[in-house]
Amino acid sequence: VKMFAVTEGKHAKFRCFVTGKPKPEIIWRKDGRLILSGRRYLLYEDREGYFTLKVLYCKQQDNGVYVCAASNTAGQTLSAVHLSVKEPLVRFK
Amino acid sequence: ELQGAPTAPLDAVCQDANKDYVIVTWKQPAVDGGSPILGYFVDRCEVGTTHWIQCNDTPVKFARFPVTGLVEGRSYVFRVRAVNKSGMSHPSRASEPIAAMDPADRARMKGHTTAPWTGQIIVTEEEPVEGVVPGKPQDLVVTEATKNYVVLSWKPPGQRGHEGIMYYVEKCVAGTDSWQRVNTEIPVKSPRFALFDLSEGKSYRFRVRCSNSAGVGEPSEPTEATVVGDKLDIPSSPGR
Repeated sequence: VKMFAVTEGKHAKFRCFVTGKPKPEIIWRKDGRLILSGRRYLLYEDREGYFTLKVLYCKQQDNGVYVCAASNTAGQTLSAVHLSVKEPLVRFK
Repeated sequence: ELQGAPTAPLDAVCQDANKDYVIVTWKQPAVDGGSPILGYFVDRCEVGTTHWIQCNDTPVKFARFPVTGLVEGRSYVFRVRAVNKSGMSHPSRASEPIAAMDPADRARMKGHTTAPWTGQIIVTEEEPVEGVVPGKPQDLVVTEATKNYVVLSWKPPGQRGHEGIMYYVEKCVAGTDSWQRVNTEIPVKSPRFALFDLSEGKSYRFRVRCSNSAGVGEPSEPTEATVVGDKLDIPSSPGR
């Protein structure tokens, strides 16, 4: 699984291009758990047609494996990445 | 068959199908059973299952109903039951199956399916900055109004902000200034909406706001006051 790193406190934007007919349904999971839209998670399809998950103000607990799963009447598939949240260079205490 | 109940409604047909709703129309039964028909219930069934779900809680009076809550891309059949004071009719024959998708997507499908494919996920870091809030939706109109439902449609704003826009619909009893959000839980992704649960005889105005991650924008110009009642300004229903 490919690894990406973002800095603590920044947003992490995950983009996944999906094809299929009929248009697949997309769900995002983190470490196996379904991600629902909320205060820190934004889920949308962007203007170029990428399914996008934005995790706002990343924290250490956002470390993990993120999966984009697509399904339609003809089948299902998924892509995964590993996110690691690195501490900022300057720590304010 | 229940004594005095109407016979089954006829010719359940789907019209104006898109990913947000399918308008189902039908013809009234040949026999009302001796007392007037009080209304109809519409049922839906996802193709490939045998599970029928009733779409409306209270009977609708006109031979026309927008069914919402469908899953985009899935196909459904519909049937209709008529009710009078003696009871419920048998269901009509089921409609032809229709997929809950926009006409352009349906045209593109041409009847074949392909399994999904997902590309490599690309992750990028973004600086938390204040985003651009989308502007006002344009050209909001009431396209249908009956005592059971109102259908609204509008155009996206010119000022769009960064990502996908979602919409919030608001209603207001005419003469007051108390706007109430209608879809508090489910954001609307396309520029149209069907509202239910309006009070008959009351007059409402409607407006729509855009939202994205940066926030919620200014509302559109409100519609003219629309009275919720049995006044149809739509193409005449079949069988009437």
